[in-house]
Amino acid sequence: MTSPLLSIQDLTITAQLAGETRTLIDHVSLDLAQGEILGLVGESGSGKSMICRSLVQLLPSRAIKISGGAVMFEGRDLTTLDEATMSTIRGSEIGMIFQNPTSHLDPVMRVGDQIAEGIRYHQGASRAEAKKAAIQILQQVGLPDPTRQHDNYAHEFSGGMRQRVMIGVALSCNPKILIADEPTTALDVTVQAQILRLLLDIRDQRGLSIILITHDLGIVAQTCDSIAVLRGGKLLEHGPKRSLLAAPKDPYTIDLIASHPSMPAPGGDAPEEKPQAAPPIRTPSAPLLEIDDLVVRFPASGNGLFSGTGKFVTAVNGASLQVMHGDTIGIVGESGSGKSTLARAILGLTPLTSGHVTFDGIDLALHRAKALAHLRRETAMVFQDPYNALNPRLTVGDMLAEVLKVQNKTTGDKLQSRINELLDLVGLERAFAGRKPSTMSGGQCQRAGIARALAVDPRLIVADECVAALDVTIQAQIIDLFRDLKQKMNLTLIFIAHDLAIVRNLCERVVVMHRGTIVEQGRSDEIFANPGHPYTAALISAIPDINPDKRLARLDQVLQAEQVVFSMGDEFPATINKITTRELSL
Amino acid sequence: MSTVHVSDWNLRWSRWLGQRVTLAAGVSILALFIFAAIAAPLIAPYDPIVHNSELRLVPPSLFHPFGTDNFGRDILSRVIWATRIDLQIAFLGVIFPFLIGTILGTISGYFGGMVDIIFMRLIDVVLAFPFLVLMLSIIAILGPGLSSFYIAMALVGWVSYARLIRTQMLVLKNSDYAVAAVSLGFSNSRIMFRHLLPNAIAGSIVFSMSDAVLVLLNGAAISYLGLGVQPPLAEWGVMVAEGQSFISTAWWITFFPGLSIVVLAFGLSLLGDGLSETLGARQ
Amino acid sequence: MHRYKFILHRPVQFLPVIFGVSLITFILVRLIPGDPARVLLGARSTPAALANIRAQYGLDEPLWLQYFYFLKNLVNGEMGKSILYKIDVLPLIATRIEPTVTLILCSVILSILIALPLAAIASRNQGSLPDHTVRIFSTLGIGFPPFWLGLMLMILFSVKLGILPVSGYGETFGDKLAHLVLPCLTIALSLSSVLTRSLRASMITELQSDFATAARARGMPESIVFWRHVLPNSLAPAVNLLAVNIGWLIGGTVVVESVFAIPGMGQLLVRAIFSRDYMVVQGVAMIFACGTMLVNFIADILTVAIDPRVKL
Repeated sequence: MTSPLLSIQDLTITAQLAGETRTLIDHVSLDLAQGEILGLVGESGSGKSMICRSLVQLLPSRAIKISGGAVMFEGRDLTTLDEATMSTIRGSEIGMIFQNPTSHLDPVMRVGDQIAEGIRYHQGASRAEAKKAAIQILQQVGLPDPTRQHDNYAHEFSGGMRQRVMIGVALSCNPKILIADEPTTALDVTVQAQILRLLLDIRDQRGLSIILITHDLGIVAQTCDSIAVLRGGKLLEHGPKRSLLAAPKDPYTIDLIASHPSMPAPGGDAPEEKPQAAPPIRTPSAPLLEIDDLVVRFPASGNGLFSGTGKFVTAVNGASLQVMHGDTIGIVGESGSGKSTLARAILGLTPLTSGHVTFDGIDLALHRAKALAHLRRETAMVFQDPYNALNPRLTVGDMLAEVLKVQNKTTGDKLQSRINELLDLVGLERAFAGRKPSTMSGGQCQRAGIARALAVDPRLIVADECVAALDVTIQAQIIDLFRDLKQKMNLTLIFIAHDLAIVRNLCERVVVMHRGTIVEQGRSDEIFANPGHPYTAALISAIPDINPDKRLARLDQVLQAEQVVFSMGDEFPATINKITTRELSL
Repeated sequence: MSTVHVSDWNLRWSRWLGQRVTLAAGVSILALFIFAAIAAPLIAPYDPIVHNSELRLVPPSLFHPFGTDNFGRDILSRVIWATRIDLQIAFLGVIFPFLIGTILGTISGYFGGMVDIIFMRLIDVVLAFPFLVLMLSIIAILGPGLSSFYIAMALVGWVSYARLIRTQMLVLKNSDYAVAAVSLGFSNSRIMFRHLLPNAIAGSIVFSMSDAVLVLLNGAAISYLGLGVQPPLAEWGVMVAEGQSFISTAWWITFFPGLSIVVLAFGLSLLGDGLSETLGARQ
Repeated sequence: MHRYKFILHRPVQFLPVIFGVSLITFILVRLIPGDPARVLLGARSTPAALANIRAQYGLDEPLWLQYFYFLKNLVNGEMGKSILYKIDVLPLIATRIEPTVTLILCSVILSILIALPLAAIASRNQGSLPDHTVRIFSTLGIGFPPFWLGLMLMILFSVKLGILPVSGYGETFGDKLAHLVLPCLTIALSLSSVLTRSLRASMITELQSDFATAARARGMPESIVFWRHVLPNSLAPAVNLLAVNIGWLIGGTVVVESVFAIPGMGQLLVRAIFSRDYMVVQGVAMIFACGTMLVNFIADILTVAIDPRVKL
């Protein structure tokens, strides 16, 4: 491998905004060898997607232009090609797959036709030939019944299968380079492992080169040959995987590696020491929260008033759990495991079908009104999407003031000082009291959301995927904040996440949910070291570790886990259809 | 992602310009008509009602820029006076349905269940009738006139607003901040009217502008058919009807009143577009 | 195909709506002050006829029973007699359906023929001069009062140029078509404005959609991206919009039929209102309501056919 397949030289991209020129990509140079997998790492806004889109001249706006540098591919500078020549490169030389296969597949065209489309256009194949080729490709990307599934539509597949189809579309014209833009971010961890494995297999079989864009260093460590770290449009570091991970030079890279949740947290908070902090608080008295054989069902079909089929989706199926005062409990599980429903049921936000939720000695099923009144004053929730969780029309100050007033926590004069106190607690400057969510970053909004939860003086906080939408370094900050608050305020915390590594870092106890049932619970360190249930084991082994020598899970192990998930997936299109139908019937 | 942000900025900038122009044009046109309505006695050159047999069917000229009708009345003066009635039609014909529909839609969407089912069935039934047909039937019973028109509007027009707000409510009540408000023990009316409605109302305000266009056209159409404003009062639809017998000889009698409707409707549409872009960008 | 099963059970869902429609028309007529028998038969009615209708509609009975009589007559296809035309309402309406349906169909087809190319040109050249022209056309077009536009077209094409008939409805097919040109143009101008706006907006959205980007990323030229991906995805909202606007469209034909003296249901309705022919008003309103429901039903089927995700 003497000369690189693709060579990005001094690439500079600028945007013209109202007469002002902003540099989005600043003199980036990268090489990609034949058969190499290059990991492009960075947080949101780092420009990693922009670089890749510029390779095939698919920049998101006419105001954004390549203003300097060159992209050399097989002796040609791709930046100088006209639109007609470029379209012979796209697809047939450089293929792309994307983060969200659902929106990137045409919803009203059969998936086979989308694969055949490229084959017919680029290779001039006949309809029948293209169909044959499409079925073959579907088989290669691992669809179980390609002949039948050729005629299916994107919405009829599960998320992982959709991504396989997307990969099939990209491979249809035999590209030499595959650009994968966050291909597994929207997927569950076990499915992610399979898709990554598929990409590796494809590389091995076809010898193509892959540029893998991701924010997850674990994925890079497991799949890539070399790594490029980007921040703010600048290339900070670029080198072979092992040397870069072992000896990062740039402070940002060091920070990024330190923030990665699979590493033991820095300082005295290493997992082994944590249990020592908690036990003294714990008293042998009654649990703060007790869940007993809880079942939550939702009506499954949206056929309306006159044709209700009486089918139900069971979101939580016989869950039992005890939470002691001062506990930090992590509930983990993949999408559809029922963990969020369990959280809402605990707070009385979703009707219980059967079973009991007892908070502070009051049974929610038996004394609903009394229990609700108590829950509203003693518990609070933190949400996943920090923007959706705050009323866009209220300033942070107004929002906190309202909570304090409605809950009769603080009277007139002390209101402002209490608001300041809350902002201090969550690490927001006091000036944020006057700002609306739309002017704040995701991390700042999440802090405001936590301040709102704290305004209640809660004894129990339920945090539902509250860091899932944030960048890794911000994630780490919010986790630190929770750890800090827990110590200061003696909180009980139920922390729901799909990311096991985060839970391991923060929680003493962990509860693993799968298809509505709790399959395993116990001390975090014990469960992670020695999982008792095969599902937990699959879940843990599927996490891409930042240490390249801890290999990604073996396919068969993970496949077993996904088959369970996949078979369950059948229940969910019903809910999606319900929404579509309702929108259309309005 | 940075890509998204940048394209947003870029679009926002060009939209901001477009918005300003659209909104400003809409506001100016509406302001012109409001001014004409208020200042009608001052700016109308002649009396809009009094007949003058010497000036029958005069084509547009310096003294009568829009010409005169078969009774010798100055068309320009009548068009100006008619502004009062037609603006009133557009305003009152929108405001009652807006208020009724918003309140019913909020309640229906927020509480759901039986209340919602009943409202939805009622809406289905009202919507099964073609709008104008139901209005005409109601006016047929109440008797011709503007007050019948307003009552019919209120009875029929609320449906669109109720549906709009209800749809928004269904989405917003599942938003995390609504769930947060419930979990914080806020009362239903506080959540409905303080947290959700302000976020849901933008679409209705925008819609009310295009609805004002439809109401204006409907009001004029009903008057044209002889079931709304009655002659000799000057109203654009009535004026078009009066000129219909003379279209082969005196086109100006029908042309100018109709043109006024087109211009006012254009202004309202622009205002709606401008508002929709401004409110849309803010959210 | 179980996605189309709704075709079987949807008509059942129409029953409560039809029930509601009949209730509203019933109530409307009963709200008219005076002796209902005289209201229904007009001022110059014979005592025998009055007694007859009292018996047929149970007008001496309590209201709920009257409604029952009303329903019973309705089920028998009995909608009463027109005062003005002295014949039964249902056959009277039947003679008027054809012109109205033809007018609506032609207008819709014409509107689609106008809107589709305009929206395609505008959305593919967003921000350009053609786009702005289309936007102004569609914004302006919505505000044209049909009664006035009809007269203006009449002045231009019939009075000044003399190439099209002024008003009325012909006997032969060609004659009818000639008479329908101006009425159709009148309706199509406003309808196509609404349609163009909606299509342009959804085409712009779909042009920027992820799947369009994905199609470009696999080397599809812009024409394939547009015709094979953007257009099919833009159609469902347009069909929905047409269905939603059918009521408004019927309103338009009521006015336009009066302007051009086309002997359709709209003209019948307006004349009936003026002559206080309430049986006819009632009948026309109900038939129009059923027509609206039928159109919405067809639109549902089309939506399901266009978009494989939709389940009804």
